Formats: sequence, C-alpha cells, structure tokens
Amino acid sequence: MPAAIDIQDVEKTFRKKVRALRGVSMQVDPGQIFCLLGPNGAGKSTLVKILMSVIHASRISGTMLGMPIGHKETLRRVGYLPEHHRFPAFMTAEQALHFYGSLSGMRRANRLKRIQAMLELVGMAAWRKHRVGTFSKGMQQRIGLAQALLHDPELLLLDEPTDGVDPVGRREIRDLLIHLRNDGHTILINSHILSELETICDQLAVVVKGRVALEGTIDELTSDRRRWIVAYEGSGPEWTDEETRQDGRNTQVILPGASANDVQPVIDRIRGAGCSIIDVSEVRESLEDLFMRALELAGEDAATPGANKGRPT
Amino acid sequence: MNTGIAILAILRESWLTLRAEKLFKLVLGLNMLVIVAYLSVGFDDTGVSLFFGLTHVDSEYIRSGTPFARTLYLGIYSAFIVNLWLAWAASILALISTSSIFPSFLKEGAVELVMSRPTGRTTIFFVKYIGGLLFVAVQVGIFTLGAFIAAGWRVDVWDPAIFLAIPLVTLFYSYLFCVNVLVGVITRSTLTALLATLLFWFSTFSIHNTDKILTENVIRFQTSATRAEKRVAELEAERDAATAAGQTKEAEDASHWLQGPQQKAEQAQAAVDQLLPWETVMGLIQAIMPETDRTIGLLHRMLERDADLSMQDLMSGRAFEKDEDHVVPDEMEAAQIEMVDRENEVPGWWIISKSVVFEFIILGIALWIFRRRDF
Ligand SMILES: Nc1ncnc2c1ncn2[C@@H]1O[C@H](COP(=O)(O)OP(=O)(O)OP(=O)(O)O)[C@@H](O)[C@H]1O
Ligand SMILES: [Mg+2]
Repeated sequence: MPAAIDIQDVEKTFRKKVRALRGVSMQVDPGQIFCLLGPNGAGKSTLVKILMSVIHASRISGTMLGMPIGHKETLRRVGYLPEHHRFPAFMTAEQALHFYGSLSGMRRANRLKRIQAMLELVGMAAWRKHRVGTFSKGMQQRIGLAQALLHDPELLLLDEPTDGVDPVGRREIRDLLIHLRNDGHTILINSHILSELETICDQLAVVVKGRVALEGTIDELTSDRRRWIVAYEGSGPEWTDEETRQDGRNTQVILPGASANDVQPVIDRIRGAGCSIIDVSEVRESLEDLFMRALELAGEDAATPGANKGRPT
Repeated sequence: MNTGIAILAILRESWLTLRAEKLFKLVLGLNMLVIVAYLSVGFDDTGVSLFFGLTHVDSEYIRSGTPFARTLYLGIYSAFIVNLWLAWAASILALISTSSIFPSFLKEGAVELVMSRPTGRTTIFFVKYIGGLLFVAVQVGIFTLGAFIAAGWRVDVWDPAIFLAIPLVTLFYSYLFCVNVLVGVITRSTLTALLATLLFWFSTFSIHNTDKILTENVIRFQTSATRAEKRVAELEAERDAATAAGQTKEAEDASHWLQGPQQKAEQAQAAVDQLLPWETVMGLIQAIMPETDRTIGLLHRMLERDADLSMQDLMSGRAFEKDEDHVVPDEMEAAQIEMVDRENEVPGWWIISKSVVFEFIILGIALWIFRRRDF
C-alpha cells in the first residue's frame, strides 16, 4: 500500500529568515499511528500546517493520500485538529460542527447524523446547545476532536490533541485513537506527553531544529536497544560487571541486548547472595529515551527551543 | 455542489458573527427611528405636519398636492436620509461592524480550521467580502422599503428609483470596504482597519471637496475675467466711437471708466493663473480616487430626473421667485450654478466605472496577500 504521507525535502523559511524546516522527509504508512515528536519550536506544527495548506512551504515535493501536497480536494479526506484552535465563541457546539462539516462539503442529512454521533463519541452530547465560548479548555479540545472526525477522514492530523484534557478524557482519546487505527485510519499525532504515546505509537519521527533527527517504526528503533532489568532489595553487588542502578533501597541490574536465557544466571547469583528479587522484566527503550537519543544525534544546542535563524548552513 | 454548501456556510457564519454583536441591534433600532421620523412628515391643505401631526408648519407653497411638497419629500429622502444618514452615520456604524469580518476570521486558531478545507482561498475571500456587502445591502434594503412606502403614502409617489439606494449605497460602501479588507488582511486588526478606512474616507471626501472648491473658484474668476473683459471691450468701443466723433470729453470719460474693469480683468486672470495648476493637480488625484460622494449623488439625480423643480431650487429659494424677480446672478452664484450643471453632466457610468476600477485594484492586492499568506 502506498504511504499515507510521503514527503521529501520540505523547507520553510518564514520572514526574518526563521528557518522552521530544513529539508524534512518522512513517510507515514497507512493504518498506523505516527508520532511526531520534537522540542518546542522544532517545526512540528509548521509541518502539519503545510500538509493542510495553511502555510505554504518554501519547497516541497511529495504526496498525501496519493495526491500532491496542496491539492485542495484531498483535504476532504483529511481531518485536522490545529494547535490552540478556537471556535466562533457565539456559536453553539452544534452550530460550530455544522459550520465545519459544511466547509468539508457534508450535506445536511449526513451532518445531522454525524454530529450527534461525534458529540456522543467525545462525551459532549449534553452540551450541544451551549455556546462554545463558555466551554473549558478540555471541552473545547473535545469539540475540536469531534470537528476533525466529523467528515470521517481517512487521515487524521492531530496537533496536541490532549492538551488541557483531564486524565479520564486522555484515556478516552487514547482508546479512541487505537479504535480508529484498528478501523483502518491513519493518524499523525503531535504531542509532548510521551508517556501517553508510548502504548499507541507505531511509527515516529523526532524533529529537531527543522530536521528529522530520528525516524522509523518503534520496532526498528528499539530492536537493538532491548534490555532486561532485574530488580532486588538491597544495595549493589560488587560481583557483577553489569550496569547497575540504585533505585531507593533497591538495585536494578540492567542487561542490554540480553535474551531471557542470559538473565537466568544473574537471577541465580542474586538469589545466591541472599537477596529477594522484586521484579524481572524486559524493557524496550522508552519514547523518552528515543527522544533524548535524537537530541544527542542532533548536536549540542539541540535542546534550546526555537528554529534556526540566519543563512543556510 | 460541495463548494455551494461551503459558501452558504461561510455566509451564514459571517451573518451570525455580525448579528452576535451588540451594535447590530443598535443600528437596526436607529434605522427604524429614522424611517419612522420620515414617515411622520405629512402634508395637508395648509402646510407641513411633523411628528404625525404633533407640530405643524404653515406654508403657502408647500402643502399637499403641490410640486413643492413632492420635491421636498423626495429631497428629504435623497439629500438627508440617504446622504446624511445612510451614507454617513449608518455607514460609519456599518464599518464598525464589518471591520471585524476579516480580522476575526484571520485570528490565529480560527483561520486554520477554515483554510484547511477543500474550498480555495479565492472563494473564501470573495464570499467573506460579499458577505460584508450583503450585510449592508440587506439593511439598506429594509430601510428603502420603508422609504418607498412612506413616499407613496405621503406624496403619492410610487417611484421604484427609491430602491436605487440599495445598489448605490452598497456600491459606495464597497469602495470603503475594499480598503477596510486590505488593511484588515494585512494587519489582522479590527481597530487599525477601521481607523484606516475612516482616514481613507475622509481623504476622498476632502479631495473631492477641495477639487470642487478649486474648480468653483476658477470658474468664478474666469467668469469675472470674461465679464470684465466684455465691459472693457464695450468701453473701448465707446471711447473709440467718441474719439472718432471728436467728443473728447466723452472719450476721456470712457478712458477713465475703463481702468476699473481693466484692473479687475487682470486681477481675475492672475487669480485664475494661480489656481489653475492646483486645480489640475487636484483633478488628477480626484480622477484616481473612488467617487464616494458622487455615487450617492446619482440617487438624487435619478429621483429628480423628470421633476420640474429641484431640491437645489427649493433650498436656495429660487423656486419661489417670480419670473420678473429674475436678475443676472453675480459671479459667485453663476459659478455655483455652473458647478451644479457640470456635476449633472458627469456621466453616471464614468463615476461608477472609475470607482469600481479602483476597488478592483485594491481588492486584487488584498486577495494576493490573502492567498500567499501563512497562517
Ligand atoms: N507564522 C509564522 N511566522 C513566523 N515564524 C513562525 C510562524 N509559525 C511558526 N514560526 C516559527 O517556526 C518555528 C517552528 O514553529 P512550530 O510552531 O512549527 O514549532 P512546534 O514544533 O510546533 O513547537 P511546539 O512544540 O512549541 O508547538 C518557530 O521558531 C516559530 O517561531
Ligand atoms: Mg506546535
């Protein structure tokens, strides 16, 4: 199947020579949850806006859903939740959704059906007659999500969808995203809450200062970085060469690249020393680890926020 | 079809936005008040009754059935209600409302939700623009309907030309609104757009009037130069005739009287020479500016198109003069009359088309920015 998003060499220089994107290439496979990560000002929102034709790229080649970027009709098949979106405050939730549904070319009968369904999906059905301007941040976020899903798009671009949403809501959104993916939708999600993405992320790209520092599927990226951790009560053993980490009164022995077999002798040794094992588990590299790795790859000042300024390097 | 749904939705959203403002109700209320005030003027056998008969002004000329009543009533409509209320006060109020159309649409967070749709930016731009004009047209429409009924009821004139106020006021408004949109698209600030538009309006108004005053004075001095020269020629002829007849006394007298008109002719000519370059420059500037005043003035022209009596005659009192009172107007009056005649000769198509060209250029720039802009 062709990629849902396949872009090469995206560049964007804003006025005053702010170089937000400096040659970004990436591929998002269909039916996947793709996480776009990166520090503040890395250019994530800019990239998403370029895909949605809200910002014009300085240079771009590639396709979205098989059509060139900027092809307006294709946007009918894409749902978008902008970062810091705001709705016309005087509109009710229902009116706002009618408005956005119409902009996507939905007919009235279809809108009526979908709006009800979407409001129920995001838990806002009771609020449909209320003005959007009176909603809390999290409630607005839910309406935003309903708006993005309204026209049943194949591809969803979500810019910080859980921003301001309470823990229960976050979990609901997470479940919803998994459900949508299993239904065959492709989702590109941009968030800083890595723990939240951990369990749902299939593919990821870390953008640093307008460049992709790390990209791939979770399996690819973490396969050579799997490790086992054996935790036991007591302080660190003097008798092992393995890396250990003190965790309060407990100690963790970290065994990178090990298999289950390799772990057994270590367990034996610990037990032999009379310590109680608390936990033995196989750990993949976390998204946070990947994020940090990407920053390291990108170089010294990667962690400072903002885009690169000045002439091409 | 799909674009049609989107266009209707954008129009509806603009309408809801405008209606949600408090100003909307205020304008609606004021419009009602003005139309009721207009409706309250009536004519009877002895004169004019105001406020539905609350007060009464006796008049020999202006009473029911006279042409004066008709001219006055329609004149109140075109000169006061349209010129002062619709084209000034109501337009300022409308500008305050519609100045926010583009800036609030382009607000960060709101614009992304619309620009990321299948509808193209050019369509969005024009739908928004036309939405603003529709808002004005609808208000003027309701208003003129009231005026139409009032004129029919009060002076039995059922003139559909009254409805010309709808396109003319809307057109007039569009000259201002295009500037409003341009500044709104550039700055995304309602207040800046509003102030810039008012400034622009004021400048078209000043340029138009400066041009008018300059032209009027040029005509005045030209008239007085011509008249003085004519007098000089007469006196010269007199003098030459007297000299030929050997009447030295008369010839001397004529020569003496000659000095005054000669001096006057020279002075007037000097004034013309001094004013003419300025008048030309102002005329050129005026030529590229949209015709705000004149567009509204077209309504007045249409309403008086086949009346024997003009509001101008009524206002100056000339309408009430008997023929025998008729005197040669002095230069100032002559210049004013000439100005009115010239004004009436400026063709309507020219007034409208040059203004529309201006509007298209401004809109073109605004659209270009709107299309290219990153949001
Ligand atoms: N409209 C704009 N005009 C000028 N510069 C802009 C504009 N939008 C973004 N930038 C700049 O581009 C860079 C990337 O911004 P962007 O919003 O894409 O970052 P981000 O990765 O989404 O950051 P965050 O995680 O904070 O949301 C920043 O340096 C920002 O200042
Ligand atoms: Mg962002």
